[in-house]
Amino acid sequence: MNLIDIRNLSIELKTASKPIFAVDRVNLTMKEGEVRGLVGESGSGKSLLAQAIVGVLDEKWRVDADRFHWRGNDLMRLSPAERKAIITKDVAMIFQEPMACLDPTTSIGEQLEEAVDAEQLTGFFWQKRQQRKQAAINLLHKVGIKQHEVCVKSFPHQLTDALCQRVMIAMALARRPMLLIADEPTAAMESTNQGQIFRLLASLNQLKNMSILLISHDLENVTHWTNTITVMYSGQFVEAGTTEQIFNQPYHPYTRALVDSSPRANRMIPNKSRLMTLPGSIPILQHLPIGCRLGPRCPRAQQKCVHAPKIKNFHSHQVSCHFPLKDSYS
Amino acid sequence: MLIFTLRRLSLFIFTILLLTLLSFSLSFLFPGDQLINLTGQLNASPEQLAILANDYNQQFGLLSQYFSYLNHLFHGEMGYSMNSQLPIATEVLNRLPATIELTCVALLVAMFFGIPIGFCAAIYHRKLPDNLILTVAMLGYSIPVFWLGILAILVFSIQLGWLPSAGQISLLFEIEPVTGLQLIDILLSDNEYKWQAFQDATRHLILPVIVVALAPATIFMRLARTAMLEVLDTHYIKAAKAKGLTFSQIIYRHAMRNAFIKVIRDVGLQFANLITIAMVTEVIFSWPGIGRWLIESIYQRDYTAIQGGLIVLSTFIFIVHIIIDFVYAALNPLAREPHHGAR
Ligand SMILES: Nc1ncnc2c1ncn2[C@@H]1O[C@H](COP(=O)(O)OP(=O)(O)OP(=O)(O)O)[C@@H](O)[C@H]1O
Ligand code: SF4
Ligand SMILES: [Mg+2]
Repeated sequence: MNLIDIRNLSIELKTASKPIFAVDRVNLTMKEGEVRGLVGESGSGKSLLAQAIVGVLDEKWRVDADRFHWRGNDLMRLSPAERKAIITKDVAMIFQEPMACLDPTTSIGEQLEEAVDAEQLTGFFWQKRQQRKQAAINLLHKVGIKQHEVCVKSFPHQLTDALCQRVMIAMALARRPMLLIADEPTAAMESTNQGQIFRLLASLNQLKNMSILLISHDLENVTHWTNTITVMYSGQFVEAGTTEQIFNQPYHPYTRALVDSSPRANRMIPNKSRLMTLPGSIPILQHLPIGCRLGPRCPRAQQKCVHAPKIKNFHSHQVSCHFPLKDSYS
Repeated sequence: MLIFTLRRLSLFIFTILLLTLLSFSLSFLFPGDQLINLTGQLNASPEQLAILANDYNQQFGLLSQYFSYLNHLFHGEMGYSMNSQLPIATEVLNRLPATIELTCVALLVAMFFGIPIGFCAAIYHRKLPDNLILTVAMLGYSIPVFWLGILAILVFSIQLGWLPSAGQISLLFEIEPVTGLQLIDILLSDNEYKWQAFQDATRHLILPVIVVALAPATIFMRLARTAMLEVLDTHYIKAAKAKGLTFSQIIYRHAMRNAFIKVIRDVGLQFANLITIAMVTEVIFSWPGIGRWLIESIYQRDYTAIQGGLIVLSTFIFIVHIIIDFVYAALNPLAREPHHGAR
């Protein structure tokens, strides 16, 4: 059974004139215990998609989906309150910019304590308070923070970015989620810290069988840690498959460009030759191309591409392109 | 925190120095003899004047004169009122407490009503309560104090007869001044009519406080609304939502504190504004405060009183400003950091 199964999820920015689809019919499926990467350039709507899943987008967005199943449960048929109850119980998210996601005027300890699920506590309220404190400290230990005494008394600005990220992960773990959505968990971090955070996530995945949706703009960076990868571009679904399929045999011109532009994949090419990249940059929301949004930048684009392509499935390797690069391997 | 305090202290001293400099130069700028402007001794004989000139280092340079002036100020000598020939210090001490009482109560009232109402508007952003509150705030802000004060007296004192229209307390009550702050003095006194006196003083306070507090309250409403909207838009509120907190938990535990801190930072700035309103209100309600006295001094060209009143009022504003800064620092962990104290 799939943990999460999303079909044709769209996120629309409500505007006075015509609506803008910041995310346009994206599919996402995850199995239990899977680590899936969600990759795409900056501005491709990864964070929006993640926030739509946990349901924290504000009123200026409208989310719509053909199917939104959580462990076989059809969430689309539930009321928003019921949906929120299920999602907050089982899905946790750590946001981009950990520092900004902690309340600057509340101590870390308090913020951790309020994340602890009331159901885990027993006894009278003063006993519960003690238990909450203990639970917060345990959470800090779980994410490898040993000086918990200093940490719970600190305020967010007194911690480094990496420590804040650990605290965010600790908070996310408080409800013992089945799925952890990590939005660029290592952005703006030194590489040693990056490795630590990724290893922490990997160990959580293995020990607790927690599924992880790992969001990143850097394809190469996540390939070590993921089983499967979904690629997005400008709010559209591009390609999904196992990490090997995506990295070794990308079918979509965009994924191909991503792979080719990563230095590791290019070890074979001669020194000092130019890295392969696509011309131009990602379109802004106000000027989205019709049809396949990669069109203006795509080396393989043809007339047909003004119509949005259908998703093609090759042995669970899905690609959304009229002219996939399938034949260029083999 | 120590560095924060030191910084505030040095700022305080520097500002007060500048103020005295301004006041000192005013004695030159006002028409008439500078020494008389400074001391207010209109009827002094030539011998007395010679003594005074010596006292204020008139035979030396300007700098020395200024230091002598500072020295006098430091000892609480601000000269004599040209009008009443009483020492300015006594006049001020007699009147300042009434102003402190009026303005501080008005500030608290304005905050107590303005800030929560502003928060409410933000929580119901773009819905009916929000629009209603914004409209009321706009109206309240644009009503002239003078008109509002007179209207309040007309309606509540004259027509309805609910509240007294002038003074601080009915003349029937004898209150022993201890601190000078009347409400506190009443509570301290062992008069058998203590409670009646307290009630009477409160009734006298109501109308002026409302008149003074209205405009600042509407400003606080808008400040609080903006602050709350900003806070509700931050990442940490979103993260708290994802953590599974309910909306009211988010408001009470995270949003209110952060928004309140943002508002507090601007309260100090509004206090100067409030004092100005209070001065006009004191005239309307014959409130025995320093504002009314200062305005009368201006009418009567009592230059010595103007200089003294200016220094005292500005110092008062500044002290309140600093107290509010400390409240801000106590609430906001970020402001307590040494590198942050420069703000
Ligand atoms: N609050 C917002 N208001 C208006 N537009 C927004 C808002 N948040 C995001 N967008 C737009 O939606 C698009 C997708 O944004 P999103 O944050 O999901 O991108 P992303 O893939 O997470 O990029 P990044 O790697 O920079 O985080 C972008 O074009 C962005 O400009
Ligand atoms: S559909 Fe056309 S434009 Fe889009 S990626 Fe494929 S070839 Fe390029
Ligand atoms: Mg993002």
